Amino acid sequence: MKTISMFALLLCSVMAVAQNAPEVKLVVESASPRAVESLTERSIARDYTAAWRTLAEASEKSSPSLLDAYFIGGAKATFARALAEQKKTGTHVRYLNQTHHLKAVFYAPEGDVMELQDAAEYQMQIVSDDKVIHDEHVVVQYIVLMTPGADRWVIRQLQAVPTL
Amino acid sequence: MRRILIASLMSGLWLTQVCFAQELNVPTQATAGDTLSIPTSGNGEATFYLVGPGSSLKQTVHLGQAIQLSANDLNASGRYVAILCAGACTSSHFFVVPAGVSTLSFLAHPSRALVRQNDAISGVVFPFDKFRNLVIAPVTVNFQLTANKANLFSRSMPTRFGVAWFRSGSWNSAGMAQLTASVNDISAQRVLQLVASDPCNLRIKAQQVSKGILVETDPVHDCSGNVVPDGTIVSFTANSSNGRSTVDAPIKQGVARAQLTPAGAATISAASGVVMGNELRMEVRP
Repeated sequence: MKTISMFALLLCSVMAVAQNAPEVKLVVESASPRAVESLTERSIARDYTAAWRTLAEASEKSSPSLLDAYFIGGAKATFARALAEQKKTGTHVRYLNQTHHLKAVFYAPEGDVMELQDAAEYQMQIVSDDKVIHDEHVVVQYIVLMTPGADRWVIRQLQAVPTL
Repeated sequence: MRRILIASLMSGLWLTQVCFAQELNVPTQATAGDTLSIPTSGNGEATFYLVGPGSSLKQTVHLGQAIQLSANDLNASGRYVAILCAGACTSSHFFVVPAGVSTLSFLAHPSRALVRQNDAISGVVFPFDKFRNLVIAPVTVNFQLTANKANLFSRSMPTRFGVAWFRSGSWNSAGMAQLTASVNDISAQRVLQLVASDPCNLRIKAQQVSKGILVETDPVHDCSGNVVPDGTIVSFTANSSNGRSTVDAPIKQGVARAQLTPAGAATISAASGVVMGNELRMEVRP
């Protein structure tokens, strides 16, 4: 009985992780003036996925230090401030069932910065003192700036915009 | 039964009142760094939450009074959710858009370029407001390249999705140049060093000395007349009955020198990069 319970618990955890794994579809054909190399394309898709997974985890745990791996500059400072305030207010945001339609629109001539647009969809839950006070299916557009780091692309700017 | 019906109607009425009381009248859009006043209706206390990209606010408010949000609460551009809870919760969202351009993030490449090279210089500008939000609304960026107070290049580019860029060939004259990007009275500058290109018309002269032949170039210039920088390597080669020998010598103060030890009839030449110099034929005395 104890084994079954543990298995069920493990299964729930795995399902929760799977549910929270962002789905990212990347299109790079419209990027200019520099064409996006296939290796870069794979890195961007991988690292953007990881960044959103990290953001969701950091938000769930109100832990700004988790942002270090995939966020830098203005994006990191902004989200870190929000997470610190979350901790104070006992509130946090859940990003569930994420889908991101990512399009590279600008890739700098020297390859040191890329701008992307993300048509994102996710279920946003705002939790206060363990109670969901807001549950919404969000469809929103983001402007994203990514720059290459030592072994990955990191998000420098992640800004939701009303229209593009 | 009648009492239950009346109680049900009363509680329905009460619930309706609560729902009305929790209406939030948020604007669809605000500007980063502005204050905002959100009117509420009803009476009693409620808990107000504001969740945005850079803030998470929770405070007790009095229904019927406006909720005041400070500039600090709304300085990050993005999507905000406002929630009002008094028993049940009601919510609404709005966007905060960036304020005016305050700083420019200017990426210029390279910091050192050869003269007369096509598409050698590029610059990328991202305009930001004072809260480090990327300004998406189009603005015109003026790019300018100047050297010795002379305007070498100038171009105006509107931003598209918050970015403007240019690419240009380098100028003919070596020296320091200043690359400037500006939006209205806000500007960012980068210094660019233009250096001479490959040597052009490499010419050598030689004279016999006690330990062989001393070969030296005329002052080495590129095809635009710029002095080729010191340290550029010139390779001197001598072919004679002793065989072939090569000496690499760096340019110092515009001239490269080397000593060769051919014997008998010798042919001496010089090259730097892909450029060949003239050939000298000499009879070397023992």
